[in-house]
Amino acid sequence: MRIELKREGGPAYFPGLARPRSVDLERLPAEQAEALREGVRAARFFEQPPVVGATPRGAADTRRFTLTVEEEGRRHSVQLVEPVEEPRLHALLELVKQAAKALYRAHGGPGGSRGG
Amino acid sequence: MIHRPRHRHSIHCILPPYLARSIAQNGSDAQREKALRTLATDGTFRALRLAGSRTPPSSAVTRPRAMMVESARQRIIYDMGNSEAFPGTPVRFEGQPATDDIAATEAYDGLGATYDFFWEVFGRNSIDGDGMPLMAFVHYGKGYDNAFWDGKRMVFGDGDDDLFNRFTICMDVIGHELSHGVTEDEGPLWYFRQAGALNESLSDVFGSLVRQKVLGQTADKADWLIGKGLFTGNVEGEALRSMKSPGTAFDDDVLGKDPQPGHMRDYVRTWEDNGGVHINSGIPNRAFYLVASRLGGHAWERAGRIWYEALRDPRIKPDTNFLEFARITVMSATRLYGAGEEEDAVREGWEQVGIRVSRTGIRVPGLVGTVTQPSAEIGRAPSA
Repeated sequence: MRIELKREGGPAYFPGLARPRSVDLERLPAEQAEALREGVRAARFFEQPPVVGATPRGAADTRRFTLTVEEEGRRHSVQLVEPVEEPRLHALLELVKQAAKALYRAHGGPGGSRGG
Repeated sequence: MIHRPRHRHSIHCILPPYLARSIAQNGSDAQREKALRTLATDGTFRALRLAGSRTPPSSAVTRPRAMMVESARQRIIYDMGNSEAFPGTPVRFEGQPATDDIAATEAYDGLGATYDFFWEVFGRNSIDGDGMPLMAFVHYGKGYDNAFWDGKRMVFGDGDDDLFNRFTICMDVIGHELSHGVTEDEGPLWYFRQAGALNESLSDVFGSLVRQKVLGQTADKADWLIGKGLFTGNVEGEALRSMKSPGTAFDDDVLGKDPQPGHMRDYVRTWEDNGGVHINSGIPNRAFYLVASRLGGHAWERAGRIWYEALRDPRIKPDTNFLEFARITVMSATRLYGAGEEEDAVREGWEQVGIRVSRTGIRVPGLVGTVTQPSAEIGRAPSA
């Protein structure tokens, strides 16, 4: 399974944070990879609509995250608009953010020590 | 063409004329001076708003405005306890003493400074001009690295301690978020492409002016940074944006390089960031800086007033672009101060970012005949 995370919005445009981050579960510790697989299942990710949530009228500086999951030949993207109120989707998003940050630190990030 | 159903603030967001006249007759010397100045400048704006209104003025008057009450700050700070489930717990109401929670204290003080700014400088009673309570929600989420305006309340995260400190740390960021509410109430400006960049820029302008006023800074002493102190020591950068030198606020291996342009020739066409609202806002930001710097003194007194009246102009549409906004600021300068230093400064400020406002005949909505007003065009003026 591979999960891509794309972040948009927030207080400023940061080119480094706007780049999609890809999480290959093969590269994660077994426990973390299993937590992500379970998170995808629990959130019924492949049954979710393309967009979950809506930016309130007049809102500014809010963020949205697009998760794309590839597994066994199928691929699905869901854009999550903050605040993500559905608890299982929220939990999945947090897991992916943590994994992306850890992978970025270990392998992809310039300097290898920090990551957004 | 965009048709707005009605303009909610055609005639009653500023001091009602009968009250101003009463103060001019019966008030103290200082009150009389302010009231007379208000009467002198408001007549033109009031007529323009009536002319631009889509509805008869009588239908717009639905409630009395509390413009001559004492400063009526109504602040409520909520502690989200690192949850994202509103409403959290109220921890401080207006007038209550500070707690030992620094984020709650900063939010309370920042809301107060922003309220005072709009009240003292523009005579505006809160976001809606009618004393709307100001609500801030602190400690939102876990390691949440953002602050946002959700259309009715301000929300602040604690930051992730890796890249970002707590978002209440910068008074101009608090002013920025609250100003989004003012723009939504007066405009609105769509949060997309140039209108969205104007929306962002107006929040930076008023956010910066809030901080400058608290610090008592003149335009030449201000740093014109937005979000100074927000980054942790891990980040190579001093702020989120620089109004003075867009594109120079940060250059970091994780965040990347500040992408803001300061001139139309560098305008960024993109679908990212709602069409570049936080990117191309550098252009009108720098125009404001240039105007304020040329006029000198306290930036909120003339440049800020001109921008505020432009925002309230009935010709502001949801899709107003840079050129249209530039033209409206020039007209605001002329109406407020006559043809002279202020109008020249505004015209030149825009020209230095590549937007030329020239005098040609255009029609003013609702008025018979054609009047001479500035129009705007993309210019190729050299960058300052």
